[in-house]
Amino acid sequence: MMTIQHHPDDDLLLALAAGSLARGHSVVVASHLEHCAHCRQRVELLEAVGGTMLDALPPALLAPEALARTMAAIDAPVERTGARPSAPHPALPAGMRWPQSLAGCSATRWRWLGPGMRWSRVTLPDDAAANVFLLRIGAGKNLPAHTHSDCELTQVLYGAFHDGRARFGPGDFDEADGSFEHQPVVEAGGECICLASVDGRVLFKGAIARTLGALVGM
Amino acid sequence: MPTSEELNRLAQAVARSADRQAFAALFKHFAPRVKTYLVRLGTADGLAEELTQEAMVSVWRKAATFDAERASVSTWIFTIARNLRVDHFRRMGNRTVEAEAPDGEEMPDTQPQPDELLLTHQRETGLRQAMERLPAEQLRVLRLSFYEEQPHAQIAQELGIPLGTVKSRVRLAVLHLRRLLDGLE
Repeated sequence: MMTIQHHPDDDLLLALAAGSLARGHSVVVASHLEHCAHCRQRVELLEAVGGTMLDALPPALLAPEALARTMAAIDAPVERTGARPSAPHPALPAGMRWPQSLAGCSATRWRWLGPGMRWSRVTLPDDAAANVFLLRIGAGKNLPAHTHSDCELTQVLYGAFHDGRARFGPGDFDEADGSFEHQPVVEAGGECICLASVDGRVLFKGAIARTLGALVGM
Repeated sequence: MPTSEELNRLAQAVARSADRQAFAALFKHFAPRVKTYLVRLGTADGLAEELTQEAMVSVWRKAATFDAERASVSTWIFTIARNLRVDHFRRMGNRTVEAEAPDGEEMPDTQPQPDELLLTHQRETGLRQAMERLPAEQLRVLRLSFYEEQPHAQIAQELGIPLGTVKSRVRLAVLHLRRLLDGLE
């Protein structure tokens, strides 16, 4: 049982509950919810706020045939869409599961990024423009130092890193913006795999980091 | 207006016995409100009408997944309408996508623990009163969040307050709701 120390802020969960969170960010937050009953409860509370508000809305005028059409539609045979094809994804260390929130997403094999650093680009079936990727960093290695022009969300899937403020282990979630210069270091005990989504452009410092920026198209 | 217990019973009748009369009653209450929700989020009238009917068809087809212990029927229908709207506009923005994701669900399908169920039930029953007791500025931020495409930036602009203030009001509102529901305030 993992102990989760770092959770998404209420404003992110509210955006998810309201349906206004960008797709890339949604899958990272959803990957956190898979392991965090505490945050699932928080989202359910916010969805219940949405439901209470829906109930209190003034009714709109519907087309006169709206109910009849709906009744006809429920009688129509259901088109079977079938199960999602299992999309390719990179090899994972033993004991690590592919997040459910990435079901249907394809991801490239691990690509070399620098010594002890690999990454995999994740493509969402319904939002090809989303900047979502996995980072796989070896034990004791630094992640490239970078600051953010916008918002980056990170969910730790495997292993742990320390970012100078706190330790982030499996199940932990991190939100970073331009206010903090990141230099996460992976713990000495083993490698670390994170799922990340970036909104804006990431401003990397250093050659390898710039290469990553170019590769990911940021 | 039907009470939430009545609405729950209607949804259960649809789930258990494919009760068309119960479905028509649910439709009468929810369809016009789902349409208002969509229109307030900027959906044109014709499309809102179409998506409303689609949402109600989903209510019929997904009735078996409705769990009164977990969420009220209003909350359940809200999430159906929300996901349908998000999926629709996503598809519109991604015309190159080959295959549509079947009924994209935002939330992972996880089974809540028994104590979570209890909390959910307590929470749902007290939520309406709790929301009435929320300070006006916090309720406003919550309300705008559900009716704006890009909540925080737009809300900040609309209310003429910094983005950080919007975030802290959201945090306060959620904290406040939780404490009201726990009977701490």
